[in-house]
Amino acid sequence: MAMPSATSQTRMELINLRKKLVLAQRGKDLLQEKMDALVMEFFYIAREVTYAKKVAFKSLEEAHRLLTVCLGVNGTLETLQHMREVKKDFKVEISSKLIMGVETPLVTVHAREKKVTERGYGLYTSNPLLDKVAEKFEETLKYLCKLAELESSLLAIAEELEKTKRRVNALEHVIIPEVKETIRMIEMKLGEIERDNFVRLKRMKTLRERR
Amino acid sequence: MNEELVKVELNRLNMHLPRNRISLMDALRSENPFVITKSGKIHSFDRKELEELAKLVDDKEAEKLMLPILIEINPSLGRGTARISGSLESKVISSILKREPANELLIYRPEIAELRRRFPTTTCYVFISGIT
Repeated sequence: MAMPSATSQTRMELINLRKKLVLAQRGKDLLQEKMDALVMEFFYIAREVTYAKKVAFKSLEEAHRLLTVCLGVNGTLETLQHMREVKKDFKVEISSKLIMGVETPLVTVHAREKKVTERGYGLYTSNPLLDKVAEKFEETLKYLCKLAELESSLLAIAEELEKTKRRVNALEHVIIPEVKETIRMIEMKLGEIERDNFVRLKRMKTLRERR
Repeated sequence: MNEELVKVELNRLNMHLPRNRISLMDALRSENPFVITKSGKIHSFDRKELEELAKLVDDKEAEKLMLPILIEINPSLGRGTARISGSLESKVISSILKREPANELLIYRPEIAELRRRFPTTTCYVFISGIT
């Protein structure tokens, strides 16, 4: 049970406390709405993360399988040499989007499908298997960028959700009961004073009548 | 109870709102469409969403449709209920949610979820506290 804070037990204080109670309840309702909205976003993004993870990992697995075959067919040294020759022009733009004040990244990948001649390694010394590996890794990188965007968003939303929940709990279980209890105490006190006055007046009336 | 703290908390709820909204047409013309929020952060719009919205309105309406579209949350409407104000905004949202167009639209939680799923950057929540 929340303990009422030390306040003067007057009618003015009672009016002020009632106003505070309305404010606190309004705040709690709004924060609860925010929490609901955050939960909705959280579950939606969590589902997206699961799907994106599945796609990215499958693609990564396939890329590594192709790379292993390529290393076996072309030889490790040759493949590594070709890998060093690859042009690194994968452009990623990171901006931000806000979900109820939570800053989440918005990753835009500026990469088009490359032709074999655009990758940078020599065609004479390489073979089509290497092209396939490069193509698959380029594709995987896009999926990984999307996954990174979603996972960061999920973490940010989870943090905000925790903060909001703490605030709602503080209002619901500490502040509102405390104000309600103080209001009840003041009402009791004022009621007692009123009854006191009433009895006194009655008594005075009786005494006057007796005289 | 510290009244000021609750007030600060209520004000903080809407810090993600843009200082100035931009029209759909301006957003489409811009290379990097974004708005600056009250907290000074940058909120970017996804081009795919803008293009999807452009399909729902004509050029004249695109000049008038201001982004982000506001989803008003007001506890007095009931928990999980939101309002879309503005006839053009309501028209766009009605066509997204396949509902009868109206001047003011009340939408409910599953519809809010659907709207946010399809348009996460071009829609935004606004919390109406009714307390100044």
